[in-house]
Amino acid sequence: MRRWRYESAGDLDRTLFQRLAAFPREPDLVVYTLRMILGVLWRGWLRVYQRLRIRGGENLPAGSCVIVANHQSHLDSLAILSALPLRRMHHAYPAAARDYFFENIPRLCIATVMVNAVPFARDPKGCESLRTCRKLLARPGTVLILYPEGTRSATGEMGPFLPGVGAIVAGRDIPVVPCRLDGAFEACPKHARFPRPRRITATFGKPMRFGDRPRGRASAEAIASELRAAVRGVGRGGG
Amino acid sequence: MSFHDPVFLRFFGIYMGLLAVGGSVLGVLRATVKRDLGHAWRSYRGWLLMVPVFLGAVALGRVPTVLFLAVLAGLAFKEFARGTGLYRDWGMTVTVYAGILGVALVTVVQDPTYGRPGWLGTFLAMPVYVVAAILIVTILRDRTRGQLQSMALATIGFIYIGWMFGHLAFLVNAPHAYGYLMYLVLAVEANDIAAYVCGRLFGRRKLRPHVSPGKTVEGAIGALAVSLALPFVFRFALPGLTTGQLALTGLIVGVGGQLGDLSISVIKRDLGVKDMGALIPGHGGVLDRIDSLIFTAPLFFHMVHYCQGIYELA
Repeated sequence: MRRWRYESAGDLDRTLFQRLAAFPREPDLVVYTLRMILGVLWRGWLRVYQRLRIRGGENLPAGSCVIVANHQSHLDSLAILSALPLRRMHHAYPAAARDYFFENIPRLCIATVMVNAVPFARDPKGCESLRTCRKLLARPGTVLILYPEGTRSATGEMGPFLPGVGAIVAGRDIPVVPCRLDGAFEACPKHARFPRPRRITATFGKPMRFGDRPRGRASAEAIASELRAAVRGVGRGGG
Repeated sequence: MSFHDPVFLRFFGIYMGLLAVGGSVLGVLRATVKRDLGHAWRSYRGWLLMVPVFLGAVALGRVPTVLFLAVLAGLAFKEFARGTGLYRDWGMTVTVYAGILGVALVTVVQDPTYGRPGWLGTFLAMPVYVVAAILIVTILRDRTRGQLQSMALATIGFIYIGWMFGHLAFLVNAPHAYGYLMYLVLAVEANDIAAYVCGRLFGRRKLRPHVSPGKTVEGAIGALAVSLALPFVFRFALPGLTTGQLALTGLIVGVGGQLGDLSISVIKRDLGVKDMGALIPGHGGVLDRIDSLIFTAPLFFHMVHYCQGIYELA
């Protein structure tokens, strides 16, 4: 008789929190179910309390893509994810700062269970995070959500884009969708304890492609500047 | 709440007393013997977590106890599914979770025919319904490749973890539920500890070298001796059982506990994993902790049921 092949989970010897902090994470029915339930709840809350408005949702492709947005508040990822169908939430990965979201248990649970975040290192080890993002994009149907400013805006103004985003998309034929978030800073600025009832608008621009660009620092920086201009121009005749 | 029940109160004192004694012994050993007690401390910290949770669930009453045991069964099945790879098959996994929920439900509801707590007939027939559901899942998704493995794993997952362990929960419907439940859990854990201690002190010959190289014949004999003595020590928890039935209870725990431990070892060795999980510090996963109970609970349940009737010992 032929032996059965068991494909055990790779993280059997890890505790629950270690499993959540690891990436890529093994699929977990309980986490998926919780994410769906929470997803329905926070989508309803965003629509009612934040009067969320989504524009240009038709620009989001059905397959893999990268969404590049300005970063104003913790509500940004929720607003962007609201534009996707519920079932795609398990394949959508907002990048979240490893040092902020993945080293504190309550934040870890929110980042991984609620929004399926991918840990992104904001230090010289960031190269590893870039590799993780590139590997993720090789999976069909992946939506990678990036905030190239690297941190939430302290003033509401968009900061410079770091070249990491360019390094991820350069030479790869994948649609990059610029997204501008308005109102999220007024609703939940840095250090706010609870969101205020202000309208948030997420506007998605036409997808861009950088498959013909060479890989390298100069190219990455150029792509980052182009994307910043695209995000600024979304909905203002610029995309 | 269960604090009005004298048997619960006695066991509450015994459990807490054992925790205190265990901690004191470890403390003295740490101060006197210059040996690494790291594993023992980790294991003790696990007990410090598990005992209050178990006592708390039982103290809250019948339904919370059943729910607690159903959650344990769910967690144990999750570990089994992650270990075997069945967790990638969501249809089967959901069916087994539903089966575990069904076992909890028929344990809690009243028997519509006899008006007794717990629907015994349906509880005993649960494997039929769940195995039928598992077979239907494969038909509904119109797939054949690898389905025998999925069906077999889901079936053993439900029967072994959901249903056999569910017998422990069904004991809450017996007139002497507190005694049965708290005695069985205490005796099975004592049996495990006795096997470990006797094995460390006197172990020479390996019991099943390929299945579990750490277990010894001497450890198993020591555990059996402790298990045979315990029903007589805790006679107050098992009223109405004759001397022969008390001895049979000891035999069930002594032999069943060892078999439960060995059977999960077979599964772990075949999968090539050391522990089924890491939820309980110092103990591994839930399945590693309840393996002996899974085997013992149905044997004890049927012994009580066939010797005296599960409802008729009041």
